[in-house]
Amino acid sequence: MTETIRKPRRGGIAVLGAALFMASTMLTAAPAFSQEMTDVGTPRDQTLIVDMLNARVSNPGTMNPYQQGVTINHGYHQMASALMWDIDTASGKQIPDLAAAMPEPLNKEYTKFRVKLREGLNWSDGKPFTADDVVFTADMIAKTDSIAYSAAFKAAIKGFTKIDDHTIEIETTKPTPRLTLVLGSLIYGNPFHVVPKHIWEKEDPATFTNFPPVTISAYKYKSSDPNGSWFLWEKRDDWKNSDIGQIVGEPKAQYVLFRSYGTEEKRVLAMAQNQMDILTDISPESLDILQKQNPKVKAWFGGFPYANLDDPCERGIHFNTSKPPYDKAETRWALALAMNLQQASIATFSGMLRASPLALPPTKVLMDTYHKPMVPWLKEFALADGYKPFDPDYAIKIGEQLRSEGVEAIPTDPDQLRDLLGVGWWKFDPEQATKMLEAQGFKKQGDKWMTPEGKPWVINILAPADFEVQSQRLAFAAANEWAAFGIDAKVQQMQGGPFFTAENTGDYEVGSYWGASCGIVPDPFVRLEGWHKDYVRPNGTAASSNQGRYVDDVLSAKIDTLRSIPADDPQVVPLGTEMLKDLVKGLPSIEMFGTSKFVPVNETYWKNYPSADNYYEGPWWWWSNFKFIAAKIEPNKG
Amino acid sequence: MRLLGQIATRLISYVLVIAFGLTVVFFVPRFAPNDPVEAMLAQVSSQGAYMDAAQADALRASLTDAFGLKGSMLTQYWNFIKRIVLTGDFGPSLAMYPTPVSQLIAQALPWTFGLLLSSTLIAWVLGNFVGLWAGWRPNRASSRIMEGLAIIVYPIPYYILALVLSILFSYIWPIFPLTASVHGAPWSFAFIRSVIWNSFLPALSIVLVVFGWWVISVKAQTTQLAEEEFVRYSRLKGLGDGRILTRYILPNAILPQITFLALQIGLMFNGAIVTEILFEYPGLGHLIYTAVIQGDYNLLMGTISLSIVAVATATMIIDLTYPLLDPRIRAR
Repeated sequence: MTETIRKPRRGGIAVLGAALFMASTMLTAAPAFSQEMTDVGTPRDQTLIVDMLNARVSNPGTMNPYQQGVTINHGYHQMASALMWDIDTASGKQIPDLAAAMPEPLNKEYTKFRVKLREGLNWSDGKPFTADDVVFTADMIAKTDSIAYSAAFKAAIKGFTKIDDHTIEIETTKPTPRLTLVLGSLIYGNPFHVVPKHIWEKEDPATFTNFPPVTISAYKYKSSDPNGSWFLWEKRDDWKNSDIGQIVGEPKAQYVLFRSYGTEEKRVLAMAQNQMDILTDISPESLDILQKQNPKVKAWFGGFPYANLDDPCERGIHFNTSKPPYDKAETRWALALAMNLQQASIATFSGMLRASPLALPPTKVLMDTYHKPMVPWLKEFALADGYKPFDPDYAIKIGEQLRSEGVEAIPTDPDQLRDLLGVGWWKFDPEQATKMLEAQGFKKQGDKWMTPEGKPWVINILAPADFEVQSQRLAFAAANEWAAFGIDAKVQQMQGGPFFTAENTGDYEVGSYWGASCGIVPDPFVRLEGWHKDYVRPNGTAASSNQGRYVDDVLSAKIDTLRSIPADDPQVVPLGTEMLKDLVKGLPSIEMFGTSKFVPVNETYWKNYPSADNYYEGPWWWWSNFKFIAAKIEPNKG
Repeated sequence: MRLLGQIATRLISYVLVIAFGLTVVFFVPRFAPNDPVEAMLAQVSSQGAYMDAAQADALRASLTDAFGLKGSMLTQYWNFIKRIVLTGDFGPSLAMYPTPVSQLIAQALPWTFGLLLSSTLIAWVLGNFVGLWAGWRPNRASSRIMEGLAIIVYPIPYYILALVLSILFSYIWPIFPLTASVHGAPWSFAFIRSVIWNSFLPALSIVLVVFGWWVISVKAQTTQLAEEEFVRYSRLKGLGDGRILTRYILPNAILPQITFLALQIGLMFNGAIVTEILFEYPGLGHLIYTAVIQGDYNLLMGTISLSIVAVATATMIIDLTYPLLDPRIRAR
């Protein structure tokens, strides 16, 4: 699995590009089908076709969300189900969905809450949605040990009680100021799915297939491929009695078809042929090919940087801080200063990345809450020897470099550039890095670095293979930078199972990771709470958070305070800011960039997709809040 | 009596090979640095579900128990062997928990078998026919063209060939679907037509690649046989080309091809991983790929065990039937 430094394979995309270039000489543009039917027998102009995140589903005949290995992001999760609380990604706030409001704490210990439920909702079989369904679901999970989620649920929730048809009370096992985090979506979704009592009370929840499902949101199951390559959802006649009907209004698409075309090359071909309206993440090279083939295909930005830069995860180099020489902050800092981020950005995604010096992603909301306000502190921050590492002009410099390389539409205004490409990053200063390493006992022999023990310094960067392409490329970019500095840096690529096993069990020294939890709201709890020392496990034992085994007593004490206050407490942002400062000082991971998502949409049949110019939601087609987006997408009659 | 002894020895070695294979299939994934529980937890975590340390540990313990990964490796091995021998059950898939492995295999097997059996047989018949003709009449234009085609297509990396076919026949001239997606009620005419239509490109991509190998191998045999004394003698006897080819050369040239064909049929149970991924084809190869990347021990054991049994059985059948095909073996 170990490979020397090289770019990841892009053979398939290259062949695709060459072949499509030839094809484009034969076809002026992919023809739009007029009044055509989809291959599943629905009118094309009434069918919104969405890419399935995890490709074909091998067990399509089950939609029980409580069976751990059941995939539900083929539409059930996005269009048919509803959570107690979901997320508005544009404002970065959680919103009530099946609940009518945010929970009301009933004691100051935050262990009892009253929750009002939305009234006037019906299940797709016409039965009303009431507190009985919610309480039944909680009881069912708690009583069924064979549901894997049961143990985790019981560790947090003592019980649900019905007060009236649309009011419940929830008791937790310990102070839980963030109940909506435990039972609602912050990103992607939440395991707590309310099920219809009148259906599930007759079934064993551990074995029930829930197929076809009775749904609560605006769409119902219509049909699917027995081999799991497509799932068709149809708008309910009584859509007014759904969460979407009440929150957004009537969804325009009569049908939403979740369709898998498998490999990236095939997905690109499908959209080029207008067989796909919305694609999940693709590479920038594929986006380029796609836009040349089909002018109706739009990216998040109309020009550079094309990608959405507001993903809740950020990418960087993570260390197992329990293993020398990465147990010393000075070593980690030296590695950060030995990295030319401009080059890393260009090598990864041709500069289409927003830099992040902080342990919170540089999304629009978090830039306003933390990144921009912390710039004065970052400028004055000094290492132990008095050296000030922050470079506030990173965005200006890479902007100039990109402009000089012929990239069009790069802003010239410094503030605009910083908004687009980040508030700054660490200086590229090999001399300072050398000084810091030599102070640690490292020595340079010829052009190679030796460890304090006198052995050649070898860094194996663990990286994902064939998934999470940004982290994969970032690993190669970091290895190139460190190799140029004189370290024998290599990339070791692994598939998902071994990759995460290594991370959780600490079987790595340096890895291209993105942290266990990602955050999009101003409350930094989800993103930063995982750095608490009580998550640390010995190497060899799996850790669910803080896989870098980082111990900082001061930071942990602040996390304890954060744990005790609710998300809307005025202390949250100042406390978060202080925690971010601690993480800059200790630098347990070198955060580098927010995640750039290339998420094209096709305007041949549909319009009013969210975009940088029409930012009513982020482009999270695979999250539970997609139903709020889908309801706003309109037919493109023109 | 001697024959019965040979059959008994062969049957014993057949059983031993399968037992050894199953043991390897059990232990190898467990020695890999891949824990299906951690893979599942990472999936839960990457999907934004927040869990504190107590909740995550509770889920970890619960999944370890559900996946049957509690106890020492020897205990797990003993349970595995008992389950296989007594019930033939590989347990639930870990990545698609709790769907039984047997159900996933039963769903995928007909697809893989249908695709690979038809494409392998078509490639075998066509390849041997063309190779025989090219070896027998190497200077004819038709021989040269067919052989040239085989030599050109054979070395093309399969992935590239399949992708080019897709672009040609699903994009530029869109007569076939990009990926396999069947429609119609089970076993209706519409369903069968849909299966054939959806399987055509994957099958063509396999036939084109495999065809080249059969042509090259049988042509080499035929060219060599054409120079043998018994062929020269038959020619001098005045026998016609057709008779020499079908009665003297074909029976000799085809023997190794039959051996290899039988092995190929056995290997069918591995699926065609690249084909199935590229065409989103719902076969065993796709399942094996999922099992490997997800660390799904049970699914991996189920699919590979099937392959071991199939290859061992195919080899045994060849060994037992070879004397019927080759008089030289009978004479020994």
